[in-house]
Amino acid sequence: MPGLMIDASLLQQMLIGALLALSVYLPLRCGQLSLATPGFYAIGGTLAALLSTRVAALGAAEPVYPLSSVLLEMLLAGLLAAGLAVGIGSVVLRLRGVYLAIATIALVEILRVTTLNQESLGGAVGIFGIPQPFLAPEGYVVFTLVVLAVVCWLCDRLERQRIGLAMEAIRDDELAAACQGINTDRTKLVAFILSAALAAVAGVISAHFLNSWNARLGNFDASITTLAFVVFGGSRTWPGPVLGGLLLTALPELLRPVGDLRLVVFGLVILLGPLVVPQGLVTPERLKLLRRLLRRAQPAREANR
Amino acid sequence: MTAPLLQLDGLTCRFGGLVAVNDVSLAVQEGEIFGLIGPNGAGKTTVFNLITGLTPVSSGRVLWRGEPIHGLDPARINRLGLARTFQNLRLFPSLSVLENVLVGLHREAAVPLLPALLGSAAVRARRRQLRERAMELLALVDLADVADPPAGSLSYGDRRRLEIARALATGPRLLLLDEPAAGMNPSEKDDLCALIGRLRQRFDLTVLIIEHHVPLMMRLCDRLAVLNFGERIALGSPVEVRHDPRVIEAYLGPGGKG
Repeated sequence: MPGLMIDASLLQQMLIGALLALSVYLPLRCGQLSLATPGFYAIGGTLAALLSTRVAALGAAEPVYPLSSVLLEMLLAGLLAAGLAVGIGSVVLRLRGVYLAIATIALVEILRVTTLNQESLGGAVGIFGIPQPFLAPEGYVVFTLVVLAVVCWLCDRLERQRIGLAMEAIRDDELAAACQGINTDRTKLVAFILSAALAAVAGVISAHFLNSWNARLGNFDASITTLAFVVFGGSRTWPGPVLGGLLLTALPELLRPVGDLRLVVFGLVILLGPLVVPQGLVTPERLKLLRRLLRRAQPAREANR
Repeated sequence: MTAPLLQLDGLTCRFGGLVAVNDVSLAVQEGEIFGLIGPNGAGKTTVFNLITGLTPVSSGRVLWRGEPIHGLDPARINRLGLARTFQNLRLFPSLSVLENVLVGLHREAAVPLLPALLGSAAVRARRRQLRERAMELLALVDLADVADPPAGSLSYGDRRRLEIARALATGPRLLLLDEPAAGMNPSEKDDLCALIGRLRQRFDLTVLIIEHHVPLMMRLCDRLAVLNFGERIALGSPVEVRHDPRVIEAYLGPGGKG
């Protein structure tokens, strides 16, 4: 099929897009517009790049970088990001709406400029020769798919817990939620911590996949792109951001046959998305409808047999 | 003598130069229905906001069973046993009617994290129990038939009753109702009056209620306090309050008697 060119590399980027979209979605589910995701993504990437190239014990010299080392990096990056999120979150989450967005953009910028000017973190040149746990991009795709599946499962469980309902209540009316005995500060902080850890884990995978890491990865542009994933896909239940992340990462590549017009078309999609589907592509109501249709289709098929 | 359930002691609230509530003192005894009336802008809702921790107290004290609670955050105050409704309706519009009540059951829904994530049988049974409890509460306010649609789609009167069910779900000892009959027609008002009486009996509640409809308050309340320009101008039984010259003056203006 000419035009439809989803190779393993693009698929890998789409999966990372889905992970980052989920990271933006978690705070947004409780109404918190945080654009800090690329910052924590950069923290994960930088940490993975540093550890795997400078700590010989992790196995950089071996022909294939051990998967266990990647998992260890993911764990450390997740913990580091979660720890930072506790400190940062308890301050910035006092801000609301656009002020929180601005504060988190500042955080992303601070991290970028620090990395750029700190030789030990790669500086302006970046870190090269990050060892590869997989020899082909397909390996990354399978691995990331597993990670995404686990994260989706966790999100699904989370949404069914009382904290999931509390998050939605806070999004609808924070004051009323507090009057129902919900600790709104703690609920928002939990969402922010999960979001940070998830972004850092995605950064670790990306650092290995990209083979090099520098301060330009995880900048303000990425803040806006990842936000677009969620706005386009829907911010009320986890399949929304996953779909948005997959589609919008693939779109610029799929539009290559259009030539120079592709960025114009991409811009149009971003612009028209919220106008045509203001709640995003996926809403709980549409999912319910889909499930009912599938159930109706099922007996019909069996009857035809 | 035991301390009253709720006591306001010299409660004052200033917004810049405006004194919204000025040195208000009153005590609500366990089990009574206590009414707060007064002309528009008298500071009634501000008193509610001060009690429930939404607005900081400028001076004075709010005592719950003799213990000061001003300065606590709204969630803590709710967990002590004070639940409220809002004059201008603050439901969670995108959640279903049932889910709104389930949010009220938040504290009761606490389960250990790991079994909850794995969805163990005990956790599922617990969740079923909570849904049943939420349905019971909805049935009490005649909303069991409309449990599924989003709360935002309910009619005005239904929303007011849903707010009451949600407040009850938090398991309060004191229920604060802010103009629950606003926008209702006379027969709905009668129903609401009966409902409040029923709920008080069933849950052994104390009720603090703000309402403009004076005849309804005369019928419903054991005692009334009257606010005007932020000050408490009268306190007593409905009959006493009705004949208080200061109250008549506040509502009808000077020389308005007769």
